[in-house]
Amino acid sequence: MSAALDIDGVTAGYGESMVLRDVRLSVAPGEVVAVLGKNGMGKTTLLKTVMGFLPARAGRVRIAGADVTGTPPHRRAARAVAYGPQDRAIFQELTVGENLRLALPRGVRDMQAGIERLAAFFPFLASRQRQRAGTLSGGEQKMLIMARALLTRPRLLLIDEITEGLQPSVITRLGEVVRAERAASGIAVLLVEQNVGFALSVADRYAVLARGEIADEGPADADAAARVAAHLSV
Amino acid sequence: MARTPLLRGGVAVAIAAALVLAAPLALDQYAISILIRSFLFGAIAVTVDILWGYCGVLSFGQATYFGIGAYAFGLAVTQIGLSPGVALGALAAGCAVSALVAWLIAWLGFGPRVTPLYISVITLVEAVIFVQLIYSGGDFTGSSSGLSGFDTFDVSMEGWFRIAGLFLLAAVVLGAILVRSDAGRLLVAIRENEQRCRYCGIATARVKGVLLAGAAVIAALAGYAYAGYTDVIAPDLGNFQFGTELVIWVALGGRGTLYGPAAAAVLIDYASAYLGGTLPFIWQLIVGLVFIVVIVLMPQGIGPAVASLARRRPRAVAPPALATVADAEVGGDAAKPAIAVAGLSRHYGSLRVLDGIDFTARAGELVSLVGPNGAGKTTLIRCLSDGAERSGGSVAIEGTPIGRAAPEACVRLGLGRKFQAPNVFETLTVADALRIARARQERLSPWRRAQSIALPAAARLVLQATGLEDALATEVRHLSHGAKQALELAMVLAMQPRVLLLDEPTAGLTKGERTLIGGILTDLVRRHGLCILLVEHDLEFVREISSRIIVLHQGRILLDGSVAEVTGSELVRSIYTGTPEPAAA
Repeated sequence: MSAALDIDGVTAGYGESMVLRDVRLSVAPGEVVAVLGKNGMGKTTLLKTVMGFLPARAGRVRIAGADVTGTPPHRRAARAVAYGPQDRAIFQELTVGENLRLALPRGVRDMQAGIERLAAFFPFLASRQRQRAGTLSGGEQKMLIMARALLTRPRLLLIDEITEGLQPSVITRLGEVVRAERAASGIAVLLVEQNVGFALSVADRYAVLARGEIADEGPADADAAARVAAHLSV
Repeated sequence: MARTPLLRGGVAVAIAAALVLAAPLALDQYAISILIRSFLFGAIAVTVDILWGYCGVLSFGQATYFGIGAYAFGLAVTQIGLSPGVALGALAAGCAVSALVAWLIAWLGFGPRVTPLYISVITLVEAVIFVQLIYSGGDFTGSSSGLSGFDTFDVSMEGWFRIAGLFLLAAVVLGAILVRSDAGRLLVAIRENEQRCRYCGIATARVKGVLLAGAAVIAALAGYAYAGYTDVIAPDLGNFQFGTELVIWVALGGRGTLYGPAAAAVLIDYASAYLGGTLPFIWQLIVGLVFIVVIVLMPQGIGPAVASLARRRPRAVAPPALATVADAEVGGDAAKPAIAVAGLSRHYGSLRVLDGIDFTARAGELVSLVGPNGAGKTTLIRCLSDGAERSGGSVAIEGTPIGRAAPEACVRLGLGRKFQAPNVFETLTVADALRIARARQERLSPWRRAQSIALPAAARLVLQATGLEDALATEVRHLSHGAKQALELAMVLAMQPRVLLLDEPTAGLTKGERTLIGGILTDLVRRHGLCILLVEHDLEFVREISSRIIVLHQGRILLDGSVAEVTGSELVRSIYTGTPEPAAA
C-alpha cells in the first residue's frame, strides 16, 4: 500500500532563496508525523509545498501514490487532503455554520452528522453556528479551522501550529480528536508544531527541520523529547 | 561609495533638464504645443501615483484641483485684469483653495471607522460638485462653455514648454526623494497596515490629509500654468472623467514607480492628440483595449514589466546600523495606577463579551490575564487601547481617563500594544518597520534615510534573542510566523511604553526564545518600573514571570490574586487546564 503522503526530494523557496532543500519524508496511512524545528526553518513552507501553494523546484510530491507535483491546490484537496493553515484562514464575514458548509465535498448535503461528531470535542460549534466567524476569539477560530478540516473526512490532514493561543484543556482535547479520527477513519496527519509536548504526545514519528533540511527523525518515543530539545536549543 | 546613487541621480536629472531646455529647438510647433499639456498632465499623474501607488489613497479628485488652479487664474484675470499682483494673488488663491478643499475632503474621507473606499467615492463626488458649481456660475464662470480669450502672460511657446517640462521633472524628482525617505516608508506603512501605524502613535489621518493637500497644491499649480498657456478654461478640466483618466494612466504606467505614470501620461496624451483627430472613436477603443490587456497580463503596469526585462539584480541596500538609546526614567507617577478599569463592559448586540470588569495595575507589576478561549481577553486588551471600543465603564492610563480617544492618542499616554496575530508591515524591511515604530521619538525625515536606528536596550535584546538582528534588510513578508511575532514585540518595545499590553507575545516562538523574552519582560518590570498586562496560555510561563494573575471567564473576572492563589485554585483547573468544559459552554 502506498504512503498517504510521499515527499520525495523536494526543494522549494521564495524568489532566489531556497527554503527547503531535498526534503524526503513520508507519512503512512493512519500515521501521525510531527515536523518540529525553530522558526524560519521551513516548516510552514513544507506544508505549503505539499498543498501546492508553492511550486516544488525539484523533487516530487505524491499523495496516496498519485504524483501531484505541479497540480493546483484544489486538485490536491480533491484527493481528500485537508489543510489547516497557521494564520486564521477562515471566512471572517461568514457564520460558523457557513464556514463549515463550504468545506463539505461536492455532493454531500448533510453536515449535521459531522457537526455532531466534532461538537463532542468543540462544543461551541453546535451552539454557535449562526455567529459570524470573525467575532470568534482567536482560540475559537483555531478550533474552527481544525473542525473545518476534519469535517471533510480527509485521508491526509496537514495542520500548522494549531495549538497556538489555545488553552491547555483544549490542547488536550485536540490530541483526543486526532486520536479519535485516526481510530475511526485511519487518517494520516502531518503536523507542524512549536508545542513539542503536544506534538510528541500525538505523533508516531517526528522529524526536525533545520535550515530547510531534515536534521533528525525518529519514533516519538520516550527519548524523543530530549533529542528534539537538543536541536531546538542550538 | 554611499554617494554613488546620489551622483548617478544628479547626472540623470541634469541630462533630463538639458533635454527639456534643448528640445524646443528640434521639435515642430505642433509637437511643442501638445507636449506642454502632456507634461502638466504628467506632473499630476505623479501626484496620483504618490497618493495611490505609495499611500493607497485612490483619489479621482486630482483633476478637480487642476481645475481649481486653472479657474483661479482665468477668473482673476477676467474679473480684475492682468497685473503681476493679480497673477501672484490668483496663484496663491488657487493653491490655498485647493489645499483647503483637500483638507475638507481628508476630514470627510479619513474618519476613524471608514474603509479606504470612502475617499475614492468622496473624491468622485468632489469632481461632480466642482463641475456643477462651474455650471451654475453663469457669466462669472462662463458656465458650460468656460472662459477664453483673457489676457495672459507674455511667454513664448518654447518658454511654456521649458516651464512645463521642468515642472514635470521637479515633480518626479521631489516625489522620488519623498518616497525614498523615511517619511516615504511611512506612506507605504500606512497603505500596508494603517492600524499598526496608529498603534505606533502616528495620526495617520493627519498624514494622509497633509499628503492630499500637498498633492492638491501641485495639481493646482499645473492647472494655473495650463490656463496661462492655453488661455482657455472649461469645466471639463476638473471633471471626474479626467480624474479617472489620470488613475488609468497611473495603472498603465505602473503604480508605485513615479516614472511609469509620468511617462504613461505624457505618451498617451501626446498620442491622443495626434490620433484623436484622425481616428476619433477608434483611438479611445484602442486605449481601452490596451488598458484591459495590461491589467490582465501586467497587473503591476507597463513600467515594472519593462524594468524587469532589463533587470539587473536588485541593488542591495545596506541596512541602517542599530544603536542603543539610554533608557528613559519611566516609572511614571507611582501614586496613580498605571491601568485603572472600572465597570467596563463590551457587548456586540445582545452578546455580552465583557461585563463589570474592575481592576487596577501599578507600575512595577506584571499582570497575566488568563482564561479559556473566548473569555474576552483580547476584547479587554482592545478596550484598554482604543476609547471607541467599550460599551460602558471607564479606563484610565496613569491617571488620565482615555475617554473615547483613538488608539494613537492612547499610545501617547504611554501605552504599547502587541496584537495576538502578528500585526506588522509585510512589504517593509525589518529595519524600516522598527524605524516606523520609533517615529514618535525621532521625526521621520521627508528627504533622507536615517543611517542608524536608536532602540532601547529591551528591543535590541529581543532582536538579538530571535536572530532578527541579522535580518534587518529582509522584507517582513519573508519572515517566519514566529519571527514576525518577535518583530512586533521589538517594535512595541522600541516605542518605550510605560504600560505594555501584550496579547500572546511569545506564541509561535520556541521554548528557548520564550524564556529569553520572559527574562526581558520581567527585567522591564523590575528594573524600569513598567506595568505589563499579558495574555498567555502557557501556565508554566505565566507562573515564572507574573507578579499577579487575573482569570477571566465568560466576560467576568473570576479571580484576581497572587500566582500561588490562582494556579492552586480548583476552579481554574476545572475551567481552564484540566477537565473538559460542560457541553453547554
